Amino acid sequence: MARPVTVRRVQLRDFRNYERARLDLAAGVTVISGPNGAGKTNLLEAIYFGLTGRSCRTSNEREMVRHGGSVTRVALETEDEAGAHLLEAGFEPGETKRLRVDGALVEGLANSTARPLVSVFMPERLELVRGAPSARRAHLDQLVTALWPGRAPTRASYARALAQRNALLARVRAGIVAAELLDPWDAELARHGAQLMSDREQAVAAIAESFAARARELGLPQSAEVTYRRRSRATDGEGLRAELEARRATDLARGFSGHGPHRDDLALSHDGRPLRAFGSQGQQRVALLALLLAERDALAEIDRSPLMLLDDVMSELDSERRERLGALLGEGGQVVVTATDAERVPVSSLGALATELLA
Amino acid sequence: MFAPPIDRLITEFARLPGIGQRTAQRLAFYVLRLSPEQALPLAEAIREVKESVGLCEICFNLAVGPRCRICEDERRDADVICVVEEPSDVIPIERTHEWRGRYHVLGGALSPIDGIDPEDLHLEELARRVESGAVREVVVATNSTTTGEATALHIADLLRERAPQAAVTRLASGLPVGADLEYADEITLGKAFQGRRAL
Repeated sequence: MARPVTVRRVQLRDFRNYERARLDLAAGVTVISGPNGAGKTNLLEAIYFGLTGRSCRTSNEREMVRHGGSVTRVALETEDEAGAHLLEAGFEPGETKRLRVDGALVEGLANSTARPLVSVFMPERLELVRGAPSARRAHLDQLVTALWPGRAPTRASYARALAQRNALLARVRAGIVAAELLDPWDAELARHGAQLMSDREQAVAAIAESFAARARELGLPQSAEVTYRRRSRATDGEGLRAELEARRATDLARGFSGHGPHRDDLALSHDGRPLRAFGSQGQQRVALLALLLAERDALAEIDRSPLMLLDDVMSELDSERRERLGALLGEGGQVVVTATDAERVPVSSLGALATELLA
Repeated sequence: MFAPPIDRLITEFARLPGIGQRTAQRLAFYVLRLSPEQALPLAEAIREVKESVGLCEICFNLAVGPRCRICEDERRDADVICVVEEPSDVIPIERTHEWRGRYHVLGGALSPIDGIDPEDLHLEELARRVESGAVREVVVATNSTTTGEATALHIADLLRERAPQAAVTRLASGLPVGADLEYADEITLGKAFQGRRAL
């Protein structure tokens, strides 16, 4: 199979604190260093925007436009086996985004084969470990899509069937229609639900071992675990349908579907206790990093290693763990990592590129 | 913004599927430029189609008169019925020349979100057709969407109860014939894998 797409060069205009900037990336590890406020994180965000057309930091996209500028633009030169590609993302508040692949306008960049997958570590992303289960479910489903692109529609189909069933529950409650009408929707929900559970189960299985190993190496000495915590015990659509039917009275009383994979969670634990509630901030950081690295390991197996954007990832690690992480990052795949002090990113100089920003 | 008759025309165009405000404006100005002899046939065609075309009293396909062409055609097998969502779904099936049976047009698909219940579709008429006549098989050709699939399941339940003598089948889904694998989308290809058969 093909080697993953790499990003060779990033150019930005009027993005955050940058009026214009250009950055060349190494095929392996690129280190961006500079004092606080120099704009290291902004560069990572710009790369993410160029790859996806979205921000990985804010839902208020206006923030991306430099104060005093009116349009922000990021261009990425990428390279795959076939040759070079150009991804362009432009954003002007109030206008539709302009996304182009090799000069042609596209509606979204998600399905483009001219870009690598992307994996982000930023302080904001700790919400993934300590926040509500919905974010972890969405993350897990993204992993499913990255591993098996053909399974991407299952999540959406399940969500549609769920919305229909909930709407019908309300109509039954209101006495508009009979409860038997739920039968086909139970079956439809169960069909997609069983598929979704099985996809997630397989995705977690693909990262579980690696997650435990990475977490141990980076500072969670007791056994760390990632598991798929599911409500349903059904192994197929018929089983889930029977469970839904058995809970119909409860669902009707509450007015929504309380059972199924939309209530599941991706559980991260350390020493048998959920990191979400019991982990220190440092432990949660390690868990997030281990999760992203485990995902990279699984994706590397199918030659789809993501581009990793790691913001200030070394700061809370001791020197031994920094060495270990540096070695892991150097093992393969493209990485962009920021640090206030380049010396603290112990990557072998081979294939590495250091860029120093001046405030 | 414009004189009221022009605004009204733009609004009417904008209600058409796939037409946005800007296109509606372009169409309206195009119509304004036309001579009366060129423009009025459009209005006349709309009036005529609304006055003369109705729904078939048996299958609810489009019909000029009480019954549609297919229901009046004695050569079409009356013991097999193909169920579709919309009259427009009949056309691609007819183009295959493979289907020699009759149709039943539901007029949509079940969708609780949109408030579309079984009474809003021609389901009762379907059940009555199947239980009264000598119908052997009902082929459910609703769309392969969530609403289409749920509607198919509902029809299967309904007919099992009302007309157990009839077989209920569902169209297969899979690869388009004559297309290269590399152009098949992942969903279709995935379904084709699930439905593979021994050679």
